[in-house]
Amino acid sequence: MDYTQLQSLYIATPAFQPLVPVALLPYLAFFLLLTTFTLGFYVSTLPKDTIPVRETAVATLASVLGGFGVVAMFCTAGVYV
Amino acid sequence: MLLPRRVPLLSFILLVVGANADSFENTAIVRTVDLGGSVVQVATTFAVKALEANARVYTIALGDAEMQKTSWLEARVKGQATPLAVTDHPGSTDNGVHLVDIILPKPLALNATLNIILDAIQTHATFPWPERASQQEPQSLKYGSDLFVLSPYKTLVQRTKIKSPTPNIHGFSTPEKMEDFTFEEPVTKSGATITYGPYNNIVPSANAAFVKKYQRPVQVHFEYDYPVGEVSKLLRTAEISHWGANLNIQDEIWLRNAGPELKGHFSRLEHQTQAFYNRAASHVIPGLTLHLPAGIRNTYYYDLVGNVSTSRLRTAPSVPKDSPNKQYSVLELKPRYPIMGGWNYSFTLGWDAPLADSASWDKSTGKYIVEIPVLTPFPATVVNDAELKIILPEGATDVDFATPFVAHSTSFSTHTTYLDTTGRPAITLRFTDLTEKHALPLYVSYKVPLSAHLKKPIAVAVAFFSVFVFGLAARRIDLRIHQK
Repeated sequence: MDYTQLQSLYIATPAFQPLVPVALLPYLAFFLLLTTFTLGFYVSTLPKDTIPVRETAVATLASVLGGFGVVAMFCTAGVYV
Repeated sequence: MLLPRRVPLLSFILLVVGANADSFENTAIVRTVDLGGSVVQVATTFAVKALEANARVYTIALGDAEMQKTSWLEARVKGQATPLAVTDHPGSTDNGVHLVDIILPKPLALNATLNIILDAIQTHATFPWPERASQQEPQSLKYGSDLFVLSPYKTLVQRTKIKSPTPNIHGFSTPEKMEDFTFEEPVTKSGATITYGPYNNIVPSANAAFVKKYQRPVQVHFEYDYPVGEVSKLLRTAEISHWGANLNIQDEIWLRNAGPELKGHFSRLEHQTQAFYNRAASHVIPGLTLHLPAGIRNTYYYDLVGNVSTSRLRTAPSVPKDSPNKQYSVLELKPRYPIMGGWNYSFTLGWDAPLADSASWDKSTGKYIVEIPVLTPFPATVVNDAELKIILPEGATDVDFATPFVAHSTSFSTHTTYLDTTGRPAITLRFTDLTEKHALPLYVSYKVPLSAHLKKPIAVAVAFFSVFVFGLAARRIDLRIHQK
């Protein structure tokens, strides 16, 4: 598209909105990382089965929450990833 | 040669009509040159009369040297604000004369008249003379230009007025053997204005024969009371973050005082005396006042040594992207040391801004469109070499962009930074000879699917999970030394 077309498209379309509102990110970071931390400790207390179904499940949950928590933490700290 | 690279990109219309010398006649051409430091403004008014009906395309001519120096060209009808479409004249690169076509808004009837104003900005048109000056000496510059305004049409009368900012003009060239065009003085000085002209009955001059016979350079040597600055290099990085809804813009600037080089050593005593007695010092750049966008936060200004604290920032609150009000944050920055003639200073300036002020989302196509300013306007300063790198979010596809003026070169690369796995696509654009007039936005559009958006948290989650797997394995290993 040429310059004037892109410019009119930019003016006509609504403003960008992130998936998660920026104001929520610090609180999200705190609670997600707190949960990850707690779940991490919980994993260490689980019984050692031969097939670690329960441990893996809790570990996966902790990892996913930790992933989102770290991204939110980076944004809160000013490193906009 | 395609469109001269610094001419603003307006609508492109393919022309068939040639620069027929019989289509128009210039009843008068007046060129006014406003002398400056590194940036000179030239406004040429063509009083045009159409010699044939339905004339639509008016051709102007620029000499080689003038073309090299011109970094911005805009044509409009006198009294109207909208610029006219300007394109290259087909087949116009020979004889040292470049032809540029201006498409008139309405075709002119026979014998109709029109005033066309051609605004041009010339860079690197002046040079300091004497080339070296001490702290107490005044600063003087020389400006060079061609005597005649070339045109493919006959001109009845033509004059060039060169306006200096002060009446202290040390000297100017006096053209000789001008009997063909005038019987009076070929050049006159009145206050701060030097007038070359009026010259009468000039034949169509946009050809090598006229240039060889009559065209000659003229120079004006004038005193200039303001600091002459130039940015030898500018590296701008714009990073778009969707998770943080943020646009980070960082400028690495190499600033140089393009005035006469400092003769002798720098005397701090002399410098302080001048500051104390408030004497205007044209040979030193004390600082810069920049107009940054509204709504910026986390601004940083540092150089090789570290953070520079001699700056003052007044931010303007964030304005939504559709707001017609143009607000600016003002940053007054002072370098670590006063920049004397020929000295350089390099620093980094950057800020964060909310992405909602500069980006929009088109739901029908799923595209994001971002507006990024090409450069922050540096007042009365030329940017010799500018490189703009736009870093898009990870996994961006269908990348399309449009620049307000032609770029010197474009390239694509991959930029890797925090929490990246595959890296972010980056567009690098290079421009040369930019001025305040080039401080326009460019637009980039791209798509980011949700899966690409989630790459970051998943990557971190995988890292966490690997730690957990290690932990699970480690729990099951017995390292006790058994005591049986």
